[in-house]
Amino acid sequence: MVAPLSLVLYVGCGMLAAIALAYLVRDALIDDRVLLVAALLELALLVQVVTGIAQGAGRSGNWEKGVFFAYLLSVPLVVPGAVLLAIKEKSRFGMAVVLAAAAVVAVFVARLVQIWGPYA
Amino acid sequence: MPDRELGAGPGRLLTGGYAVFALAATGRATYQVIAGFSKAPLAYTLSALAALIYVLATVALVKGGDRWRKIATVAISVELVGVLVVGLVSYLVPSLFPDKTVWSHFGSGYGYVPLVLPVVGLWWLRRVSR
Repeated sequence: MVAPLSLVLYVGCGMLAAIALAYLVRDALIDDRVLLVAALLELALLVQVVTGIAQGAGRSGNWEKGVFFAYLLSVPLVVPGAVLLAIKEKSRFGMAVVLAAAAVVAVFVARLVQIWGPYA
Repeated sequence: MPDRELGAGPGRLLTGGYAVFALAATGRATYQVIAGFSKAPLAYTLSALAALIYVLATVALVKGGDRWRKIATVAISVELVGVLVVGLVSYLVPSLFPDKTVWSHFGSGYGYVPLVLPVVGLWWLRRVSR
C-alpha cells in the first residue's frame, strides 16, 4: 500500500470524526458539510481499492492475501452505511454513528497497513 | 401510538455495530470455509453461525416492530451464550480451536466488542419493550 494514501485516509477519518463530534456536541443533524467530508473519505477509500488491487493482485510471497482483499473491499461499505443510518436518525445518535464509523474505518485502514507489512 | 423504534436513538448506534460485525463475520466465515473447511471444522462452523446471527440481528434492528424485536431478542441471546461458551472453551480446551472465530477468547481479537455488543443489545431491547 502506498504510504501517502494511508496518511490521507487517516487524516480523512480524523476530519470526519472531528466534524461528527462537533455536530454531536451541538446536537446538530447531518447536513451537506458532513456529507462532503464523508464523500471525500469515501473517494479516498475507493482510490485505495484500486491501488490495493493493482498492487496486491500480483504480489507473491507469504502474506494474508485473502484477508487483505476482504478488508480492502469491505471498508468502503462502512461510510455509506453510517451516512444512511445518520440520515434516518433525528437525534444526536446520528452523529454518534458517523463518529463510530470514522473510528472503524481508521481501524480497518491500520489493519490493511499491518497486513501489507513493513514495505509500505 | 407506535412502539418506541427499535432502530432509533441508541438503537441506531447498535444497528451500526451489528452491521459492521455482520460484514466482518460473514467475510471471515466465507473465507475460512472456502480456504479449507476441514482444517478447523468446529471453529469454522461457529464462525458461520456467528455471521448468521449478526446478520439476523442487524436485519431485525433495521426492520423494527414487535415481531422483529422478539427475533432480535432470540438472536442476541444466542449470541451472548455463544460468545461466553466459545470464549470459555477456547481458553480451557484450545486444541478444539486450531483457528480463531469471532467469539474465541471472548472476542479479544476484536477488542472484546463481541462480548460487549450482546450485553448492550439485550439492555436496549429491554428498554425498548418497556
